[in-house]
Amino acid sequence: MTPLLEVEDLVVEMRRHGAAFRAVDGVSFSLERGGALAIVGESGCGKSITLRAIMDLLPSGGRLVSGRVVVDGVELEADNRGRGRGHDQRERMSIIFQDALSALNPVATVGNQIAEAPRHVLALGRNASRERAIELLRLVGIPDPERRYHAYPHELSGGTRQRVMIAIALSSEPAILLCDEPTTALDVTIQTQILALLCELREARGLSLVFVTHDLSVVSQVAEQLAVMYTGRLVETGPTEIVLGAPRHPYTAGLLGAALDVDTPEREPIAIPGSIPDPLRLPSGCTFHPRCRFATLDCVTTDVRLEPVGPDQEAACLHSDALAAALAGAGRD
Amino acid sequence: MSGAASASGVLLEVDNVSVSFHVEHGRVLRAVDTVSFQVAKGEVLGLVGESGCGKTTVAKCIVGQITPNAGAVRLEGRELGPKRTAEERRAIQMVFQDPYSSLNPRMSVRQVLSELLGVHRIVPRAGIEDRCRELMALVGLPPDALGGLPSQFSGGQRQRIAIARALAVEPRVIIADEPVSALDVSVQATILRLFEDLGSRLGLTIVFISHNLAVVRHLSRRVAVMYLGRIVEEGGRESVFGDPRHPYTRALLEAAPRLHQTELVRPVVRGEPPSPIDIPAGCSFHPRCPRAEEVCSQVRPLLESVGTGDEHLAACHFRREASPRFGDGTPPTYRDEAPFGALEGP
Amino acid sequence: MAPSFQPVETGQEVARRPSFGSRVLHSPTFIAGAVMTATMVTLVLLSPVIGRYSPVALDPLHALSGPSALHWLGTDELGRDTWSRLLYGGRTDLQVGVLAVVFPFCFGVFIGTVCGYAGGLLDTIIMRIVDVVLAFPFYVLIIALVFAVGVGTHGIYIAYGLTDWVVYARTTRSATMIARKLDWVAAAEGGGISRARVLWRHILPSTITQAIVYVMSDIVIVILVVVALGYLGLGIQPPAPDWGSMIYDGQNFLQTDQWMAVFPGLAVVFTGIGLSLLGDGLADVLRPE
Repeated sequence: MTPLLEVEDLVVEMRRHGAAFRAVDGVSFSLERGGALAIVGESGCGKSITLRAIMDLLPSGGRLVSGRVVVDGVELEADNRGRGRGHDQRERMSIIFQDALSALNPVATVGNQIAEAPRHVLALGRNASRERAIELLRLVGIPDPERRYHAYPHELSGGTRQRVMIAIALSSEPAILLCDEPTTALDVTIQTQILALLCELREARGLSLVFVTHDLSVVSQVAEQLAVMYTGRLVETGPTEIVLGAPRHPYTAGLLGAALDVDTPEREPIAIPGSIPDPLRLPSGCTFHPRCRFATLDCVTTDVRLEPVGPDQEAACLHSDALAAALAGAGRD
Repeated sequence: MSGAASASGVLLEVDNVSVSFHVEHGRVLRAVDTVSFQVAKGEVLGLVGESGCGKTTVAKCIVGQITPNAGAVRLEGRELGPKRTAEERRAIQMVFQDPYSSLNPRMSVRQVLSELLGVHRIVPRAGIEDRCRELMALVGLPPDALGGLPSQFSGGQRQRIAIARALAVEPRVIIADEPVSALDVSVQATILRLFEDLGSRLGLTIVFISHNLAVVRHLSRRVAVMYLGRIVEEGGRESVFGDPRHPYTRALLEAAPRLHQTELVRPVVRGEPPSPIDIPAGCSFHPRCPRAEEVCSQVRPLLESVGTGDEHLAACHFRREASPRFGDGTPPTYRDEAPFGALEGP
Repeated sequence: MAPSFQPVETGQEVARRPSFGSRVLHSPTFIAGAVMTATMVTLVLLSPVIGRYSPVALDPLHALSGPSALHWLGTDELGRDTWSRLLYGGRTDLQVGVLAVVFPFCFGVFIGTVCGYAGGLLDTIIMRIVDVVLAFPFYVLIIALVFAVGVGTHGIYIAYGLTDWVVYARTTRSATMIARKLDWVAAAEGGGISRARVLWRHILPSTITQAIVYVMSDIVIVILVVVALGYLGLGIQPPAPDWGSMIYDGQNFLQTDQWMAVFPGLAVVFTGIGLSLLGDGLADVLRPE
């Protein structure tokens, strides 16, 4: 079956202080209908830009160099003018962001903002759009939706605003929801509510999800597929549980080693040596090599790309077998 | 009243501190409500809570940035008044959350450190440069970082500089207010390691504030949980995390995301925290508590011992019973399918 | 197997620091402004050397002539050489411009910093005084003060000193109120550094940038105020040259000898642009990266 969303070889260039660099350098992935993919990486790895490039909503200074976005077999055109894509065809895409307060219009009521897409994209009438908006408010779990319709964003709490943003995203009846760190700014008890909401929506409406986050510990609840990103490239992809349980790229292993888990407080987190490189001066070959204990000369000279390392798993590493052996050995101790 | 770790070893005491602000229409915002706790010398106390619980306000009271409306902060038994001497201010230092706004963008590292060393005459003039280098080494930065301006450093490096700044004046207590929340995961590990090292090597007393349970559980020896300006549970780390007696603590524990959790965590806490202007009567958590009964809306529970004899306190009418797990069955283990069962939502 | 590399020590790399010189070079605004201002200042300072005539020397035979070999920029109605008058007039105008803003700048920044930091009753009282001064129509106040104090440059200094400080006070106060809440200021205070020192060494370098940018355009404003006062006969008294009175004199002869008014006008414009660019450029250069 054709995947619902296919992203091929996305390349995005950003300009900073006059110098240009590739914030996204050849990212490809696909998403099945009803599936969920999590993209994980640290700050500056390009995960948010990837989502924006898919939506064709790049910030100023960003430019889509090449790459294809195919939804349900139809390639979407991008015109780099910040008007987005994915509105006009049957299978629509929507995006939600991290900070609801800055993503919402401060001078429009939340109800009007939710009703906007039904009115203009779905071409419903004024009353029908209003009804739809109230329905959506109810759907995302906001109590007393008729009254809340008239509220302004600053009058609502963080979690409620995030729900409003989800309602807006749903108002155009999308098939694909792109989520850019939607729970990062929320407290953990609210986070569970929002994640539960997203999963319910997935089940109820068959929504497909691309979920971007820097928090590894959230992904296993949200997505069955996982992609790890570093300096604009995907370094590992595969089923979430397998990647988290048996990583095949040293960076993934490093992230796992550095993470703290509330159930095992005695374990010492191990930092990844070195630091994230300046995007204007990336190391040659595998960009992770200065920080990697498996690195050899080949890693410096070869342009390492994703290769299959398991039935569904891919890793961009020349030494993924050595890593697997080392981890298996350590697990035995 | 909260228990004492060991009366002779208590270094820092927060005694019934309350902070309120007057907001428009004559209403009062209670940011902190009769918070008390003690920190023993060399101990790491974790202060945990979500946004709006007042933990940062408590931190500001301790370092003297804010004067509480009621209650006192004591260092080694001596009360620290609203106007603090340079000596008093030196004794308690803070490390802030945002590494991008906690350093003066116009001063080099050397300038910042030398100024502090000079003002307090910690070393003679001739020894300042050497002491600066020692401080850099202590936090794991190379000596040529001294000449740098903050803009040249990454987030993790800036936090190290902030820690070096705090250490320069040789404080007795360090208040770390979410020091790793703004950092990437791999960098967090380094900074946490640094705090651990400094704690054990220099015998520092640390109050570590965070909303991240995993971090707090890893670093602290004792823990206090805050909600809407009050402490709702307090005790040794394993007592509080292993046997939580307040439903909010239990909810925080269950909501904390785990790496290998295949089933979705069902939200157990209803709605969102109310505004601190309108704190509910009785137990402030009762509108959201899955366990609430009538008494909870009428009588405010005090922070009292849970009865296990190990200085474990909770502010809940049902403190004497182990608080129920909200999922059914055991907590999730690695790669187990651990069904949570159908829970009622909000 | 090929030898593996030692991974780099955690977090040791420090970015390069752009030197002051390179920041200057990267700001075309600053360079343009500095060059223009320096040109004007140099020219007027060298007026005894490059001015070919005394600014008050009369040459009735060649009155109202356009640019020529004898008089580079022409002459006015009394035969005085425009070029020389431009240079000597520039000296006066620039001097008045710079001196007039010194007191408002220093006093205004001081008051603004104190008010912004201390807050409370002091802040309220002083800000109401500021409001009162700002509410007055500016030129009415200046004219009244010059009348009271007497014409000539000292009148301008006093009038400007009494009225102009409020702008600096306001901008510095806002900047100080913002800075006061920043973490790094709290850290300095918490470190036991005295309040005076925190204000002087930590807060002021950040808050003064706006004032510095404004002072550049303020100098130009002073020159224009002198021009305006010149129209009322309250400015620099003849026969001392000044751009304002030269423009004023020239307006009678716009039909026949436009050069009389145009050159001093161009001089004011050139100086104004140069100082503005210099101010903006300073803001670029002084901003921490």
